[in-house]
Amino acid sequence: MKPDAEPGPRLETGSHGEGPSALPAPVIRARGLTYRYPTGERDVLQGIDLDVAPGEFLGVTGPSGAGKSTLCLCLKGLIPHSFAGTLGGSVIVNGLDTSATGPAQLAENVAMVFQDPESQIIGLTVAEDLAFGPENLTQPPDEIRARIPKLLETVGLAGFEARETYSLSGGQKQRVAIAAALMLEPSILILDEPTSELDPVGKGEVFRTVRRLREEAKVTVVMVEHEIEQLAEVADRIIVVDGGRIVADAPPRELFRDADLFHRTQGERLPQVAELLLALEREGLVTPADFTPREDEAVAVLSRLLERRPR
Amino acid sequence: MPVGYSIYQDRPSPVHTRLDPRTKLACMVTVFALALAFNHPLVLGALMAAVLVVGIWSQLAIRSFAPFLASAAWFIVLGILIWPFYIQQGATVLHVGGVRFTSSGVLFGLAMGLRVGLMVTAAGVWMMTTSPQKMTLGLMRMGLPYKAGMAMSTAIRFVPLINGERLTIMEAQRARGLDLTRGNPLSRAVRYVAVIGPMLVRALDIAQALAIAMDARAFGVRNARTSIIEIGIGPVDRLVLAGCAVAVAVALALRFLGIGLIARNYL
Amino acid sequence: MSAGDPLIEVEAVSYAYPEAAEPALRDVSLRVMPGEFLALVGQNGAGKTTLAKHFNGLILPARGSVRVAGQDTRAVATRRLAGIVGYCYQNPDHQIFSRTLRREVAFGPTNLGLPADQVARNVEEALRLVGLLEKADDYPFLLGRGERQRLAVASILAMGSRILVVDEPTTGLDLQGVRGIMTLLERWNRELGRTIVVITHDINVVAQYVPRTVVMAEGRVVADGPTRQALTDWAALEMADVKPPQVTRVARRLARYGIPPDVMTVDELAAAIRARLQSVSVSARREEA
Repeated sequence: MKPDAEPGPRLETGSHGEGPSALPAPVIRARGLTYRYPTGERDVLQGIDLDVAPGEFLGVTGPSGAGKSTLCLCLKGLIPHSFAGTLGGSVIVNGLDTSATGPAQLAENVAMVFQDPESQIIGLTVAEDLAFGPENLTQPPDEIRARIPKLLETVGLAGFEARETYSLSGGQKQRVAIAAALMLEPSILILDEPTSELDPVGKGEVFRTVRRLREEAKVTVVMVEHEIEQLAEVADRIIVVDGGRIVADAPPRELFRDADLFHRTQGERLPQVAELLLALEREGLVTPADFTPREDEAVAVLSRLLERRPR
Repeated sequence: MPVGYSIYQDRPSPVHTRLDPRTKLACMVTVFALALAFNHPLVLGALMAAVLVVGIWSQLAIRSFAPFLASAAWFIVLGILIWPFYIQQGATVLHVGGVRFTSSGVLFGLAMGLRVGLMVTAAGVWMMTTSPQKMTLGLMRMGLPYKAGMAMSTAIRFVPLINGERLTIMEAQRARGLDLTRGNPLSRAVRYVAVIGPMLVRALDIAQALAIAMDARAFGVRNARTSIIEIGIGPVDRLVLAGCAVAVAVALALRFLGIGLIARNYL
Repeated sequence: MSAGDPLIEVEAVSYAYPEAAEPALRDVSLRVMPGEFLALVGQNGAGKTTLAKHFNGLILPARGSVRVAGQDTRAVATRRLAGIVGYCYQNPDHQIFSRTLRREVAFGPTNLGLPADQVARNVEEALRLVGLLEKADDYPFLLGRGERQRLAVASILAMGSRILVVDEPTTGLDLQGVRGIMTLLERWNRELGRTIVVITHDINVVAQYVPRTVVMAEGRVVADGPTRQALTDWAALEMADVKPPQVTRVARRLARYGIPPDVMTVDELAAAIRARLQSVSVSARREEA
């Protein structure tokens, strides 16, 4: 059942249901999203409502099997275009209904990077892999070639055009995948656990790249990750998905105060500095205003604490 | 198994840079035609030398010719041993255990060995001077549907990966006590299931993930694709193609006239 | 071998892969006593996996020697060493090929030539230990990633090897999955006395569960000792490009306030901070007095 297409972006209410405001329209709006795989016995997504603002960096976390990857596939439009199964509710990206919009147009709006570095690289050389998407959309070769060097620079792989893809490290492959995803100039980039198969060096490379994308702020990013400490550093807002529903949705500084939530869902731990500051707060050594899930900020708070000499 | 995607060697030679892959394919076919047109060992030897000269001129590593020359040597030895049984013309060279080895027989055997060896070497030179991407593109320009072309490229892309997986799986199973070195061929083949099984599952997983990744980048939404790789038939190609046509015509004529043959009535 | 002898003895081993520019192992020595639980950490290419593959003879040293349970690995076939050293590969999908979990777990012990009733007993016990006994007759490919990981470990456990080498068991797992597998390894080490070598990138797992850590960089061992010591050997960690857990990093940055750097967990750091504040206030009160 395909929902009616939205009439187009307009001033929307904020995601907390306040009155109409001057906030920009969300680039992603999911309402009542449900989905069941063709052979599934239950709905993997059980009613997701989500708004993502333009330029926002949204982190997604939660236990395995919660539906995070399925959510990504729905936001990208691969569900329903490449997957059968039962989709309910709606997903609107950049004003386009994913069920009613063709894959070519969707590809120019939303791009996705998957978990396995090997099976998303298609080209035999780096340049060919980056060109794959634009070639599919019959873009002129000159334009495609012109865009490649700049994107390789963004991901820290300048000069890698002729390198054969099989010879790249995991971190390099994932960065090629990110560059390739950005070749179609989407306004939304979705990354589904891009570092889970990588070693720490590779993880660092990907997070550095993603951080740079955030600073350049030309893309809205949705990133599913288990690396909770690195995610806390880079996300504007994090949602926790469990059992096909969003069970928490807040900026890191608020989200990581809820230790009970993380114990319940068992999919994730808190960043260690968050856990530490909560423990110290319980003993009255720091205040809620001091709380932070980020490493540098936590060191500053603790330094101040230890410098004080109690009278 | 090639370490990389193929045996292609990237060199700045004229053969690499100035010829379209289709032209090189035509040259290889021409060499095959010439190899079949003649059966005199001197002619075939000269042709083999010409192929090697082209290979060297293409700046290919000398040692990469080794496997092709080795197989040529092997075919020559076989040829010299077998053909004299069939061709008994000319002076007797050797008389062993009631079998006459005649000069024509031996020379014909040499020619046949050279023929196969030179065809194999020509194919090798073609593959070493043409990248798989350009080859696929050339085939598509000649009418291969682009989805079939993509299937070819993807297969090439995954050769090193699947081979790597195979090696890892073999090690993992060896660590569980799997022994593939002892026993008769049949029982060893049965034990290979422990390697083939995970390989197939892995290959299917990769194929599925790859299909989704391709969909994510809009593969198949249009009837055609552009390509950042450029190939095209230029004036040099036309010259070479004309040369090939002439060579084939001349060879057929000479064949008809019986020149360049050591044994008439034989291919 | 007598009780005090090392179970694994690596003596000045060097090795280079064929066609590799650099050696993978340079003059590495290591000793593992029975019942130890240790972690091999370091970046990809540092030599951890290469070293571990010497333990069951998958790789033989170019120089130096490796003795396992008193036997030189060059003198014994891998398939025989598999009975002493069980090596569990990183990706369970590189091992799984049978129709049921039971058959899968039986593969290893059967290859070792154990009698059928022993195999059946080992299979039951191994599946029970990893918590997959109810699924014993299920199809392995229906299991989730965490369960397949446990199945792979059970397959090795059922071989009854004294030494378990586990390569990256926590890749791609969520917190529950990580806890699941690490508590299993910890328990086997404690209750069954198995010697366990775990190769991992996950430094938090090492800090929390593993008593001894060997840090490798560029084919060499740069640190080897109790985890607390190895993960605060800053020079070695720098060489290995390994970052200690966040709490350890934070503790180091608070060193000038008298916080000891060798904290491995949140609780330890909280306690250290508390202690520091108390001692400061005690000394301040003494000053006032």
